[in-house]
Amino acid sequence: MKAGGFVAAGGALGSLGALAIGTGVGENQRKRARWIKTVDRPTLSEKTADYKRFSGKDMFAIYVPLKTQRDGVGSFEAEQASKSKRLAAWMSERKPGFSLPDQQLSEGAWTVMRSSRPGTGLLSWTRPPARTPATPAEPGTQRYTASPEEMASTVKAAARLYGARLVGIAPMNENYVNQQVPREDEKQIDKDIVFEDIDVPSVTDTKFVIPRKMKWVVAIAIPMDLELLSRAPTALGDTASALGYSHSAFVVSSLAVFIRGLGYEAIPCVNDTAQSIPFAIDAGIGELSRLNKLVTPEFGPAVRLCKVFTDLPMAYDKPINFGLVEFCKTCKKCAEACPSRALSFDSEPSVRTRGPWNNPGHKAWYEDSYKCFEYWQKSGSACGVCLVSCPYTKGNQAWIHEGAKAAVSVAPATDGVFRILDNAFGYGKQRDPEQWWKNNSSSERRG
Amino acid sequence: MTNATDVFTITIRRRRWWFWALAGLWLLLELLLLQTALASVAEGEPRAATISGIAAIVLAAAGVLLWLRRGQSQKPGEPSAQPDDASTPVEPQGQG
Repeated sequence: MKAGGFVAAGGALGSLGALAIGTGVGENQRKRARWIKTVDRPTLSEKTADYKRFSGKDMFAIYVPLKTQRDGVGSFEAEQASKSKRLAAWMSERKPGFSLPDQQLSEGAWTVMRSSRPGTGLLSWTRPPARTPATPAEPGTQRYTASPEEMASTVKAAARLYGARLVGIAPMNENYVNQQVPREDEKQIDKDIVFEDIDVPSVTDTKFVIPRKMKWVVAIAIPMDLELLSRAPTALGDTASALGYSHSAFVVSSLAVFIRGLGYEAIPCVNDTAQSIPFAIDAGIGELSRLNKLVTPEFGPAVRLCKVFTDLPMAYDKPINFGLVEFCKTCKKCAEACPSRALSFDSEPSVRTRGPWNNPGHKAWYEDSYKCFEYWQKSGSACGVCLVSCPYTKGNQAWIHEGAKAAVSVAPATDGVFRILDNAFGYGKQRDPEQWWKNNSSSERRG
Repeated sequence: MTNATDVFTITIRRRRWWFWALAGLWLLLELLLLQTALASVAEGEPRAATISGIAAIVLAAAGVLLWLRRGQSQKPGEPSAQPDDASTPVEPQGQG
């Protein structure tokens, strides 16, 4: 009896340890916790006949006409003037989170991303022109070959070296690719994105051409800086997004050069060209959440997504299920925390969209992006409160986080308890913006 | 000073398996709460650190109190009212 008790206790402890650090995912992936289960079909994967390629015109592209339609001619200009005035006043009175250093920290973090445009510069779709005729010994002229599994491992290792934290390989799905790259100003035109039977990607004056042979997508997640993000909605919170975007541009452009050097074609994309979320779901990086954004088991929704299309043959990864959809049904913390009430309070996801910014044809908790974007103008920031409030957005030091996520994954009955505990422990609250400067004023950065 | 006729009884009480299971669980919880408290400080989560810290202290105090009460509940020389199942009395042996 006594021995049996020890064995049982030992077994339970062993299971707990294995649950926390064990492997549960295919060999092609780096070791992930055992409670992250691979599945054949993603959660919320059903598509209806309405599902089609997204126009590419997100809220940034359609806010002005929508605002004008709803609030009258000149309402957008008036809103922007009011915002500028407010930001200037906050800057001069040194409002925490909106002082000049706060705002310029964000501007600095945007630098790499702002110099990256689809198809040009860092995000170029083609190899740079050779200075001299290529010789057989030059990178890219001889193809590196290996098994699809080895290729996947090699590409993932390179991606992680450049700064990716979660990497997965998904099959190309033309439905996830936007119809157009929207123009950035009146002098330009919207360019179509088309698939053709060609060897090399090309960008012309009228269209972006993706070769049909590009059947692999490297989906990448880059975690945002939680210390900064927890200062949202301020310019400091924006800095976390800006850094994430700039890191993304660096990672995908570096990875594209690496892949081209192996003798294959590569198209690096950040938010442009295609929807990152469905590719990331198919690649097993995370699940679709109440935010209508990807939530990863490791970093919650506090990640920036990017991707590289390629013709380099690699083993595909499988989608994952870690109990998120069931948890989102009961949690609703993000919807309660959202200052603009833009997120859905529905218990079940549905196919009912909230506006032209949503891509219809699949089940989701669709958000009201208009309300969200309007709040950005009022708050003078890109908000991000929903990202911080999610119970999956946690630091990586306390073991209890891993235990709670494992429990939610294997025992959905505990979802409500963990939601209550998350509030009781005070997680997801905005932190003092000024404290960030104090924490990081020493010559060596912590953490 | 003992006489040759004095009789001594030595009782070796083995604790039941569930005692060790509970003690193990207590230790595990204590460790988890302390780790959460310290890690929460590092993560900049003051409320989580406070709650975990207080819970760790309360659990530690409760454990120590229970241990002490258990020791005091049996006075020297009195046999346990409910001896543990695996008690192994040693046969009394007279001196001399």
